[in-house]
Amino acid sequence: MRFDTVIVGGGLAGIVAGLKLQKAGKNTAIVSTGQNALHFFSGSFESIQEPPKEILDIFAESGIRLHYSPGVRLMPMGTFAESTLSLEDVSIFPDPKIGRRVLIVNFTGYHDFFSSFLAEGLEKQGMECRIRFLNLGDLTQPDLGPNEMRAVQIARRIDQVWDKLVQEVRVLLKDDDTVVLPQVFGLSDPAIPERIRQGIPARVVFAGTLPPSVPGIRTQMLLKRRYEVLGGTYLMGDRVTGAHVFEDTVHSVVTKHLDRHYLEADHFVLATGSFFSKGLISNPFKIFEPIFELDVDYDPDRNTWYNAGFQEHQPYMKFGVKTDSSLRTFRKGSPVKNLYAIGSILGETHPELGTGAGMAIRSALQVADQILKSEA
Amino acid sequence: MRPDEFDVIIIGGGITGAGTQRDCAMRGLRTLLVERSDIATGATGRNHGLLHSGARYAVNDPESAAECIKENMILRQIAAHCIDESDGLFITLPEDDLGYQQTFVEACLKAGIHAEIIDPDLAKRWEPAVNPDLIGAVKVPDCSVDPFRLCAANMLDAKLHGGQVRLHTDVVGVLKEGDTVTGIRTRNRGTGEERNYYAPVVVNAGGIWGQEIAEMAGVKIGMYPAKGALLIFAHRVNNMVINRCRKASNADILVPGDTVCIIGTTSSRIPLEECRNVAVTPDEVTLLITEGIKLAPRLSSTRILRAYAGVRPLVSADNDPSGRNISRGIVCLDHETRDGVKGLITITGGKLTSYRLMAEIATDLVCQKLNVNKACETAVKPLPGSEEKSYEAVARKIWETPSTAQKAAASRMGTSASRIRTGNRLDEALICECEEVSKGEINAAIDRLEVSTLTDLRRRTRVGMGTCQGEFCACRAAGLLAKAHGCVDKERKDIADFLQERWKGNFPIGWGDTLREAEYTQWVYKHVLGI
Repeated sequence: MRFDTVIVGGGLAGIVAGLKLQKAGKNTAIVSTGQNALHFFSGSFESIQEPPKEILDIFAESGIRLHYSPGVRLMPMGTFAESTLSLEDVSIFPDPKIGRRVLIVNFTGYHDFFSSFLAEGLEKQGMECRIRFLNLGDLTQPDLGPNEMRAVQIARRIDQVWDKLVQEVRVLLKDDDTVVLPQVFGLSDPAIPERIRQGIPARVVFAGTLPPSVPGIRTQMLLKRRYEVLGGTYLMGDRVTGAHVFEDTVHSVVTKHLDRHYLEADHFVLATGSFFSKGLISNPFKIFEPIFELDVDYDPDRNTWYNAGFQEHQPYMKFGVKTDSSLRTFRKGSPVKNLYAIGSILGETHPELGTGAGMAIRSALQVADQILKSEA
Repeated sequence: MRPDEFDVIIIGGGITGAGTQRDCAMRGLRTLLVERSDIATGATGRNHGLLHSGARYAVNDPESAAECIKENMILRQIAAHCIDESDGLFITLPEDDLGYQQTFVEACLKAGIHAEIIDPDLAKRWEPAVNPDLIGAVKVPDCSVDPFRLCAANMLDAKLHGGQVRLHTDVVGVLKEGDTVTGIRTRNRGTGEERNYYAPVVVNAGGIWGQEIAEMAGVKIGMYPAKGALLIFAHRVNNMVINRCRKASNADILVPGDTVCIIGTTSSRIPLEECRNVAVTPDEVTLLITEGIKLAPRLSSTRILRAYAGVRPLVSADNDPSGRNISRGIVCLDHETRDGVKGLITITGGKLTSYRLMAEIATDLVCQKLNVNKACETAVKPLPGSEEKSYEAVARKIWETPSTAQKAAASRMGTSASRIRTGNRLDEALICECEEVSKGEINAAIDRLEVSTLTDLRRRTRVGMGTCQGEFCACRAAGLLAKAHGCVDKERKDIADFLQERWKGNFPIGWGDTLREAEYTQWVYKHVLGI
C-alpha cells in the first residue's frame, strides 16, 4: 500500500500532523497501537496559551471547541494551576475564586473524584463548600458494581441520563452559586457538558478525575473521526514492527497485522511517544528507538538519568531522538532524508517547541509544513 | 498508677520491640512502646522476609541454627497468617563444590533441621524456576514470612493485653535518678509535644539505633552496622525459597513472598551515620541481578519492582570487615550488671526468625527485675489473626463464596478478616487494584493498627506495593485516610511523601517498565492531578 505520508503513532502529535496533511489534500495513513497520552489528558494543552488560528480551526472542524483566557483552572486535588489553551469543559477563572458558595457533587462509591480534597482546597481560598453524593443507581439501572466505578464506565451510563442528573443537582442546590461536577460527561456527545451547564442555575465547573480522562478520550475520538472523514487511513490497534531503510531513505514500514503488505510512502513521521508509550526503550545499558534504530540523545551513564527527588525534574525526560532544526532524524550519525520525529519522542531536545501537548502540536504542524513545502 | 507511669517502657517498634511488648503485656505488665517512625521501618522491614530453617547457619553457627529451627516450628503455629510454608532448596551449581553438600546436611541434622538430599530432577519438578543446570539439591524447612504483618500482629496483641503504643514519637532523653533509669522523655513528630513517661524498667530494642539510646543513658554499646541490599521482582517467580549450597555469600537467597520474590543480600560495613539513609548503589544492583539469575534464570526477563537496603543490628565482636562472621546470636545486656546502670536492658542482635525468643529472654529479665513470676506463653498462644491455619477456610467462614479479593484479604489478615465490615457492597470497592485491597480492609486497618500515613497503611495492607507502585491507589487511599482522620490538608503532603518513598526504591532500577511506570506516575500527579 502506498501513501504520501505514513505516520507511526496516533496520539495528539500524530493525528494533528495527519489532519493538516489530509486538509492539504495528501493521502496519509496513521498506525496506532490504541492508547496514547490523550487518554490521560487533563483537558488543558500544556505550554500553549494564545493558540495559533490553524490549531483552533483544526479542532473546530473536528467538533472540539477550545478556549483560552489569562487566569487559573481548578485541578482535581483542589489546587489551582495557570490556565492554558483548554477544552471547553475546563473553566478558566481570573483568580482562584470560583464562587462564594460551592456545591461539590460526587457519586456514592466513586473514589476517583476527590471531593474532600476539592472542598478543602476551595475552603482554603475562602469559599464555603458542601459535598453531596448522588447514587448512580438512582439515575440509571442496572447499577455499576463497586469496582466499576471508574470514569469511563460512569461516562457510558451518565450520558444517557444527563437530564435526570441535572434535575437531581437542582434539588440539591440551595443558595450555592457554583456547582463542581466530575469530568465524566460527553463521552458520546461533546454537547452534553454545555447542556448540563445550561440546565443548572449556577456556575458549573467540571473537575478532573483519575485517568482515564473522559474529555481526553472524547477528543481522541473526534480527531480520529475527522481524520477519517478527510480520507485518512487510521489503522487502529496495529503496531509498526520494522522498517526498510535504504541508505538515507525510508522505503516502507511493516506492521503486525498487515503482514507482508508494506506501507510505502514518500515521507514518514515518527510520533510514538516517549518511554511510557514505548517510543523509547530503556534497559540498564542504553536507551534506544526500537523501530528505525534512530540515534538517541542521552547520557550513557545511567547514574545521571535520575533525580532522587520524585517531584524534581528528571534528567531522563530530556532524552529524545536526535533531530535537526527541521525535526529530521538521524541514523548512525547521518540524517534520514524522509523521516521526521514529532511529539514526546523528542524529549526536551527542542525547548523552543515547549513541552507536553504544546510540543506535540507545534512539532506536528512544523513537520506537516515541511513535508508540504518539500513537495511544493 | 498515673497515666504516664508503666511497669516497662519498650523503645523501638521493630519486631523485637513489638514482640517484647506482647510478651510483657501477656505477663500482666503495664507496657508502653515508643517508636520514632512506624512499626517495622528498620531492619525488620528491610530483609528477605525469610523465616530461616537455620540451614544457612548450620555449618558456621550451630547455636543460631538450632535456635532458628525451634523458632521456625513455633512461629508456624502461632503466626500462621504471616507465614507461607513454602519450604526451601539449597542448590549446588556446576561451579560449586558438591562435596560441601555432605558437610551441610550433616550440620543441619546435628542442629535438628530436617535436611534431605533430593534428586536435581525432582528439585526441578518441585520448583520449575530453579536453575536447570543444578547438580545437587537439598530440601529444608525454610518459609517466607511477612515481617510487617508479623510486627503489626504483635503490636495489636500487646494492645489487646492493655499495652499502649506511641508511633512517630522520638525518644529525646533517658530520665535518670543517680545511676537508675526512671523513664524517658519523648517528642511527638507530628505535634512537637514533649512528654515524660516513667517506668522502673526500660527496654532498649532500637536495633542499630540502640547505640544512641544507650548513650542517652550513659552506656556504651558498639554496634556493627552491616548493610544488606535487596531487589524485589514484580512477580512470584519461585514458590520455594532457593539458596546456594555453599559458604554464605552475596545474593544467594531468593525468597517468594506474597505476589513478589526477593533476591539478596549484599553485605558491607557502613558508618553508623549512614544508617538513616542507606542507598542502593549500581554495583550492588548489578551484583544482585547477576547472582540472582544463577538461582533462577527466569529473573533475567522479570521486571524489577524495587531496590532497598537494610542495616543488620549486630553487636561488634571482632574486627571483621564483611560482617558475615559476626555471630547472628541474640545479645541481651543487663546494664545493671554490665555498666552499673539500673533499670535498663538492651536486646539486640538475633534475627527476624528468632524475635520471639529474643522477646522472651528480654521479658524474663524484665520480670526478674520487677519480681514478677509468670511464665512466658508466646510460644503457645497464637497471634491475633492466626487462630486458624488455612486462610481459605477463614475466607469461606466469613463470605461463604469468597471472591479472589476476599481470599487475598483473608491471606493477609487471617481470622482478623472477620472485622472487615460486610453487608455494604461499597466496602468491597478495590482501592489498590494490583494487590486487591478493598475499602473495607483499609478501614479495618485504620481502626485497629495505628495508621497515620499512607506509608503506614502500605505496611499493614500492601496498598501500593504492587506493580503500579501506588500510581492510582495513593490518592484513593488518601481520601479514606482524610475521612478517618478528619484532616485533608495533611493528606496532600502525605501523598507526596508516599510517592517520594516509592521513587526511592524505583530509581536505582529505573529502566524498562519501571521507568515507564515512573514517567507515567509523574505525569499523572504533576500535570493531571496537580500535586
